[in-house]
Amino acid sequence: MEGKVIVVTSGKGGVGKTTATSSIGAALALEGKRVAIVDMDIGLRNLDVVMGLENRIVFNIVDVVHGRCKISQAAIRDRRIKNLFLIPASQSDNKDVLTTSGVERVANDLRKEFDYVIMDSPAGIEKGFENSIVGANEALVVCTPDVSAVRDADRVIGLLYSRSLEPKLIVNRIEPARVERGEMLSHEDVLEVLSIDLAGLVPMDEHVLISSNTGTPLVLQNDSIAGQAFKRIARRLNGEVDLPIQVPNNNNSMWRKISKTFGFNK
Amino acid sequence: MINFNSTAPVKLKGVGDGFWITVDPSCPEDVLKSEIHKLFKNLKHLAVNASVVIDIGSAKGHDDLIENIKSYLKETFDIARVSKPPKKRSIPTERIRQRDLSKGWNHHKSDVLMLRGRVRSGQKIESRRHIIITGDVNPGSEISAGGDVIVLGKLAGKIHAGCPDNENAIIFALEFKPTQVRIGAIAAAGIDEEISAKPEYACIEGDGIVVKDYMKTNPFRKMPWPEAI
Repeated sequence: MEGKVIVVTSGKGGVGKTTATSSIGAALALEGKRVAIVDMDIGLRNLDVVMGLENRIVFNIVDVVHGRCKISQAAIRDRRIKNLFLIPASQSDNKDVLTTSGVERVANDLRKEFDYVIMDSPAGIEKGFENSIVGANEALVVCTPDVSAVRDADRVIGLLYSRSLEPKLIVNRIEPARVERGEMLSHEDVLEVLSIDLAGLVPMDEHVLISSNTGTPLVLQNDSIAGQAFKRIARRLNGEVDLPIQVPNNNNSMWRKISKTFGFNK
Repeated sequence: MINFNSTAPVKLKGVGDGFWITVDPSCPEDVLKSEIHKLFKNLKHLAVNASVVIDIGSAKGHDDLIENIKSYLKETFDIARVSKPPKKRSIPTERIRQRDLSKGWNHHKSDVLMLRGRVRSGQKIESRRHIIITGDVNPGSEISAGGDVIVLGKLAGKIHAGCPDNENAIIFALEFKPTQVRIGAIAAAGIDEEISAKPEYACIEGDGIVVKDYMKTNPFRKMPWPEAI
């Protein structure tokens, strides 16, 4: 059976595409699937850094598309998680070196060898974005609860629909305390504007920064709440569609404490 | 055998920059060819490099006959192009005649552009007609209409009604939260305050744009009955 190509995109930069790609990819591999994560951000690669695999890069996705090497040569095997592979981007080229037809061909080849191919799209909606979605079967849109991120995600969702991809939404970096105080959009506000299926909600977590800088997969840290959220997203993608979506909540909130003491907790 | 009862087996008329020959496919091929030869001989230099349409009327098939005539014409008279008549568009003339006058809008070309679905950021809808949207209009999108803009949903984009100079146009929405509204040449910024969702509309009053509660004043009261042409 052929695998699926999932593109992770957002429009706006810095909302957590790379974190989502690496975490979901690692979580799917932990579920026992053969996973390739592909960095499509040609010229500004960083998926390899986040995954801690930078020093093992020999070939990259540009070499694969141009036929300078085989997929098996470019795919770097992660030593910590079985069945997890990274195909890095090239740092020295720019986004115009790839053609949509070339990427589509490679995506189809990858689909034959892996259960899941997860593509990390660059920010923006230009050539790099076009390249990363051309071979995709599914799309995940990452969005933070900011007005500007929602605006850009909305645009990207429109573009994905026009290519008959039905995207699912990941709301990243939710800060329950701020939402409660009304300083931040809630995931309901985001969903009201974007109105697409939800893949999952990810709370703000300090572990993300630490794991990115040390190059350790987030999902391997059991005390990371964001890691847990990404694991649930991966399970949902992997067929457990009924897995309930957990809304990040603020356990320190006064109101919750009171309701807990009186036994109103849901 | 020549069928004298019917009209001439081959008829020729000039069409645009070429010729249209109507042939009777029930006649034998050599008869048709000799008739064509007679007609085209008279055309002399006019036939050179002309384009010719071969029409076999309502008869079907006869592709080989047309092929033969085609090659014959090309060889003998230096015709440039030979083609079949273009497919006629069926005109529902009879239906139009039968239509009930009181239901004129059944065949009426609408002066309204109606769209269903969510208008997303970055989308721009432009029309010289009225625009009706059954769905929400997200922030970051643009709508520009020659007439009214009616949104049966939440309106949160940038809206221009009465473009370019129709000051009678209105903007109506079930939930009215636009980022910017323009009617004709007058513009106004949206108000960023939390008000409960209620149907509202914007129109020009004096020399500014005002937003009114639909429940209190009905903008449609002044409108004439729907005209059907």
